[in-house]
Amino acid sequence: MPAIIKDDVLVYKGSNLFRQRLLLSVLSGRAIKIEDIRSNHDDPGLREYEVNLIRLIDKITNGTRVELGETGTSMYFQPGILVGGQVTHSCCTQRGIGYYLEVLLAVGPFCKEPLNAVLQGVTHHDLDVSVDKVKLAALPVLLKFILVDDGLELKVVRRGAPPLGGGEIVFRCPVRRHLRPLQWTKWGLVKRIRGVVYALRVSPTFANRVVESAKGVMLNFLPDVYINTDQCRGPNAGKSPGFGVSLVAETNEKTFYCAEAKAEEVGSGEISLPEEIGRQCALKLADEIYRGGAVDSSFQWLLALWMALGQKDVSECVVGPLSDYTISFLQHLKEFFGVMFKLEVLRSELDDSDEEDDVVDANKVKMTCVGIGYVNISKRTM
Amino acid sequence: MADDAIFDKKKSHHAKRAGRKADKKKKKTAVDQSNLSARQRNPKAFAIQSAVRAERQFRRREDVISKKQHIPQVDKTPLEPPPIVVAVVGPPRVGKTTLINNLIKSFIKTNVTSTNGPITIVTSKKRRLTLIECNNDVNSMIDIAKCADLVLLLCDASFGFEMEIFEFLNICQVHGMPKIMGVLTHLDMIKNAKTLKTTKKTLKHRFWTEVYPGAKLFYLSGIVHGEYLRNEIKNLSRFISVMKFRPLSWRMTHAYILADRLEDVTSQEVIRKDSKVNRDVVLYGYVRGVPLMKEATVHIAGVGDMKISELSYLPDPCPLPSREKKRHLMERERQIYAPFSGVGGIVYDKDAVYIELLGSHSHKQEDEETNEKKALIKNVVETKETLDEQMQESGFKLFSGGAVIYPDMVKDDEYLQNDNQEDSDSSGDDDVNDESDSDSGIDESGKDGDENKLPWDNNSGSEAEGAEQENGDDKKSDQEENSDDDTDYNTKWKEKLGEKATMAYFERQKTSKNIMKLVYRDYEIGNKNKEQKEDGSGSDDEEIGGLFKKVTSTEKKKHKQKEQQDVDECSYFYSSGKPNLKDWTNETNKQFLMKNFVTGKRLPDEDASELLKLDDASDGDEELYGDFEDLETGEKHINKDVSNEETNNEASGIKRKGEPTKSDILEKKLKLKAKFDSEYDNPDDHRIKGDHSYYESLKAEALKQSELNKSVFENLDSGLRVEVEGFRPGLYVRMLFKDMPSEFVTNFDASYPILIGALNMAEQNIGFVSCKVKKHRWYKKILKTNDPLIISLGWRRFQTLPIYSKIEDDLKCRYLKYTPEHVTCNMHFYGPITPQNTGFLALQTVNNNPNEIKQLGFRIAATGSVNEINKSTQIVKKLKLVGTPLKIYKKTAFIKDMFTTTLEVAKFEGARVKTVSGIRGQIKKALNKPEGAFRATFEDKILMSDIIFCRTWFKVDVTKFYAPVVNLLLPAGSKNAWQGMKTKGQLKRERNIQNDANTDSMYTSIKREPKVFKPLVIPKALQKGLPYRFKPKERTTTLSGVKAKDIFKDRIAVIKSPHEQKVSNVMKMLKTNFEQKKEKEKEATAERLQKHKKQIEEEEWRKLKRQKELKKKICRHLSKMSNKKKPQM
Repeated sequence: MPAIIKDDVLVYKGSNLFRQRLLLSVLSGRAIKIEDIRSNHDDPGLREYEVNLIRLIDKITNGTRVELGETGTSMYFQPGILVGGQVTHSCCTQRGIGYYLEVLLAVGPFCKEPLNAVLQGVTHHDLDVSVDKVKLAALPVLLKFILVDDGLELKVVRRGAPPLGGGEIVFRCPVRRHLRPLQWTKWGLVKRIRGVVYALRVSPTFANRVVESAKGVMLNFLPDVYINTDQCRGPNAGKSPGFGVSLVAETNEKTFYCAEAKAEEVGSGEISLPEEIGRQCALKLADEIYRGGAVDSSFQWLLALWMALGQKDVSECVVGPLSDYTISFLQHLKEFFGVMFKLEVLRSELDDSDEEDDVVDANKVKMTCVGIGYVNISKRTM
Repeated sequence: MADDAIFDKKKSHHAKRAGRKADKKKKKTAVDQSNLSARQRNPKAFAIQSAVRAERQFRRREDVISKKQHIPQVDKTPLEPPPIVVAVVGPPRVGKTTLINNLIKSFIKTNVTSTNGPITIVTSKKRRLTLIECNNDVNSMIDIAKCADLVLLLCDASFGFEMEIFEFLNICQVHGMPKIMGVLTHLDMIKNAKTLKTTKKTLKHRFWTEVYPGAKLFYLSGIVHGEYLRNEIKNLSRFISVMKFRPLSWRMTHAYILADRLEDVTSQEVIRKDSKVNRDVVLYGYVRGVPLMKEATVHIAGVGDMKISELSYLPDPCPLPSREKKRHLMERERQIYAPFSGVGGIVYDKDAVYIELLGSHSHKQEDEETNEKKALIKNVVETKETLDEQMQESGFKLFSGGAVIYPDMVKDDEYLQNDNQEDSDSSGDDDVNDESDSDSGIDESGKDGDENKLPWDNNSGSEAEGAEQENGDDKKSDQEENSDDDTDYNTKWKEKLGEKATMAYFERQKTSKNIMKLVYRDYEIGNKNKEQKEDGSGSDDEEIGGLFKKVTSTEKKKHKQKEQQDVDECSYFYSSGKPNLKDWTNETNKQFLMKNFVTGKRLPDEDASELLKLDDASDGDEELYGDFEDLETGEKHINKDVSNEETNNEASGIKRKGEPTKSDILEKKLKLKAKFDSEYDNPDDHRIKGDHSYYESLKAEALKQSELNKSVFENLDSGLRVEVEGFRPGLYVRMLFKDMPSEFVTNFDASYPILIGALNMAEQNIGFVSCKVKKHRWYKKILKTNDPLIISLGWRRFQTLPIYSKIEDDLKCRYLKYTPEHVTCNMHFYGPITPQNTGFLALQTVNNNPNEIKQLGFRIAATGSVNEINKSTQIVKKLKLVGTPLKIYKKTAFIKDMFTTTLEVAKFEGARVKTVSGIRGQIKKALNKPEGAFRATFEDKILMSDIIFCRTWFKVDVTKFYAPVVNLLLPAGSKNAWQGMKTKGQLKRERNIQNDANTDSMYTSIKREPKVFKPLVIPKALQKGLPYRFKPKERTTTLSGVKAKDIFKDRIAVIKSPHEQKVSNVMKMLKTNFEQKKEKEKEATAERLQKHKKQIEEEEWRKLKRQKELKKKICRHLSKMSNKKKPQM
């Protein structure tokens, strides 16, 4: 839904895409106002995890101003300057660390001082990308933009499953004055599959059973499949029991696809079999590979963001079919930065021959844009 | 027949080996020695003699090369670049206008009556110039320096360089140095040939020190009939037209426009009601620098920050000639465009037509008739705009209840036609087709969509013939889409059985055809307003069977929005729940996925085996299993498989991507060989070369990027291209600004440049800027903290209150009251956020009051560059808190007067304090009795007379004051007299206010009491131990300091009577006797005592002896007894 611009303040309605809006507001330096936040719900206003996000943003910025309306259903947010530096934050357990980590990842290169963040909370969550996925699939994307890896690091110190969490990660990100334009139209073929299975406060046999089934599916396609098990003990295993798996497929052009699956929470009443989890994850990975493109489908928006924030040069990338989240992100990019992507659907050549088949090749989308010439204004020069 | 052939065989040619012809040929083919280099002629002489020397030479050469290398920049000049801005700068009465007139005449062979504002002319097939004269105002000089590509710096040679020139050069250095050419005029004023020569020389060298050694300086030797000499101007114009330019970093990151036309489009009625009402102003100009984004905020120098409310491009008013194979410009192609100056012919625009009345008409004698005519024309000219505006405003309805039609829509017939066509389409077709229409994408049927949305696109009229064709295209594409949608419909029907997630996925697949539409559906593309679009969509509100109302798309949208409003955010592809995944292990599905793995089948141009086969094919004709002809039998063997494959290939040639043919491969090989040759056997040069491959690769990358930048949007249609890329440099654009101050229009003066600079992200915000700054060495005064300063930074000129500071060794910013001389210091001010490393200059005044200028001499107070931007500052100032002891114990003391409250003390608990004498201590805790007193401990006992210091830092805040210099809003005469905030000193001087003198600082005679010390008292015990010479000799230690002798000096002598003498004698005698007696008694006593002592001692001795003997006896007896016992044992 497009924003209404009222004397240079973008006014939105609803709590949907709250994170995107805050993130872009911080990067663009434009104030936003969000109205009607769950105004028709039983508990109106911002949720705890959203307030927690505002806190985190406040920690990494200087001069941020947040005003909540009297009823709590409207919010005015005026961003400050990104400072970064040493941050310790305990994330809300309603959402995973991924929810917060993605924000830090997006703004990381534009801080005044290199970001060194310690986040505590739930490392694996159903709604958010897990920290493993960020580490395996998102960091390589950022590396393409900053080119030299001087201190880009994500360390999973402890894992924590919902509902209580207890996980901890350390994220370090170097700062850049500007990002390079990127041309990334080839993603190559999958050459190896790796994975990690974690088991927190459950029997270690669970992990092995997950490995067995996931490997069973993936070996159909490729012999190079290795899956590690991460059997956590004591305080490293967080506060709640749980297990899950992340699989990553690497292509010969350094594209990483990642899929993950995890067991249901203990209290939810459902029982998840380890074999099922493994198989489910493997199928998700296959789906991801089938969709293809230069980046994992969950990080299309990060790619779009960094492309748009490049220098005033043309960047072009080919990604798989756009997710809904990416589409709304592109709309927000247009509103905040005025940047519009040229989107083309690339049709594969073998298309017409397989018309009658119910499986059609996934449509790749070629995204082309001119960077807005964004420079890191917070960085200090001597 | 065969025999004949044998006989007919011609004799083959023999080349001559000797004789005249052979010699000639030899001469011809021989290597021409004169063209060879010395190294080639005599390679031995250049062989390496000494390895050390060779190494040194090599190193030097590499040093020179690497010094020349710059980081390769992406070349951002577009295919059709904007005109080059040539600014003519110089002090008044130096010949600027004459030079511009002459240059125009030399370039386009027309006389210009008046030059005012920028004048754009076409000078060659690929180059246009915008000439602009800079008036003698420091504001204009700054703006011109920010936008000029080439500066002609005029100087009166008979006078020499004036301060303005140096100021201008300094401004240029700060804001990015454009190309500068010096021009000396008034050379004919110097009559003496020798002085002329020396003047030229000195001026040239002075110019070189300012710009760079060898900078071009032109001499215009004199004026004939009010014009410079023709060949000199010709020469100058040649230099201008071959000038090359270097990209400047600020302009390569910011778009800017030098406005060359202005229009006030406010309704006349509104103005009539209130002449001071804010105006809607349209500005025109070429986009320069980088592409201008549509929703950009811009800064108009001299006015302030503005938001462009409407931006569109127009056909170029002064276009480059079309691509014809001719070397010279045609006469009609030499165009001039200068709306401010009143030259050129009829100009068509979006909303106005201009007719230029030639100069000869205006010189006609005035009579009543012409006066009347003039009045009429004037009337027309004046009201024209209003009419136009009224036309713009007024809409009419064709049918009652129909949509209001505005003139904008009427203008382009295509729009209407298209509308009708669409209407008929939708009414004729069924629901599915209706859907398809509303779905018509930008991607596939982009033209169709654009015609709807970009009316101005077709305004130029030249595209009229194209329009019909396009309409045809539209129909076609519509049909295509219809057929597409039919199939879509079928698949959709099937999908209803699937789960929701998969349906969504397929829906996305279906719509991905119009993916841009899917994403950017809600945004306006081009100029059309949203409301109009919605009007259009409102018309598809129709009833089915008169009963049910179809849900309109707007309602649908609203419903959807409401649904989505509070959804939890999730970045996964399948955002909620478990997706219905395909079973990829299934054999059919697996095959499909397999090609994404290295183990699967690859594309033909990647497959190794396929490539190998091709390589073999290209390697030669001697294929092992290829087709060959048996020479003996004449039989042809053709490899069936291969031919089959070939035919297959031909058939599927379109499908197979990039199958290289033999010639391609050969070409590739040749290229490779050439590369190899050039690298390894360079026959003419055997020098050792350094490895520059990294630099070369960087350069290649930059080149590739710039080519991509130019080519990637080439095929995109112009409306969409502008949307994606922005308005690229070289486009002539029209910008509408709403709510401009009326003074901008009423006080408009074309001789002041209107520079419109785009602001990048976050640059419209205001924050604290910290920068490094150095006072200019030619500026006479030093600068004081918190004195208002006018800063030219980025596009802006503004006044602010800076604070100077210095970074200490512990990285603390210490406040400085004045700028130091000859060194840089830090400066903090509240102002617009600007990227780091942007240069700026500071002025104390922009007022062109000649007296003030004379007093200052050089107006640029300081220069510097931005270091950092923040939302808060950390500048500190030293602060000493002073206290006195209240009570002193051993090493503890109570201190008062340092703080006023207990709270303050609490804040400073643990702070270090120090006495004047250097005894260090620490603040411990507040006392409750005298408010603000506290307990402190010291390393030694302090004195009551000590003063105690506590050294702290006090944070200094930067005043939040930011005022843009709005000199363009000032009335015409006083545009150069902008007056901002005044310094305190200025105000005091003006109002004749004098400070009250500080009494503490006044000089008074000092009275000093002599110091009185306490007498030295040596304790008696100590005196005893002292050697005689240190012992106090006299008892002079009286408080009054009078000697003992003198004490009795004033007393009266006592003289006794004889009786008294007698008595005293007797008394004396008695006393002596008594004393004698006592002494004797004492002696006797002593003797007796001694005797008695002796007696006692003897007695003691005897006693002891007796005891000893007794002891002996006992011991002997005891030993005897023990001896007796032993043998028994």
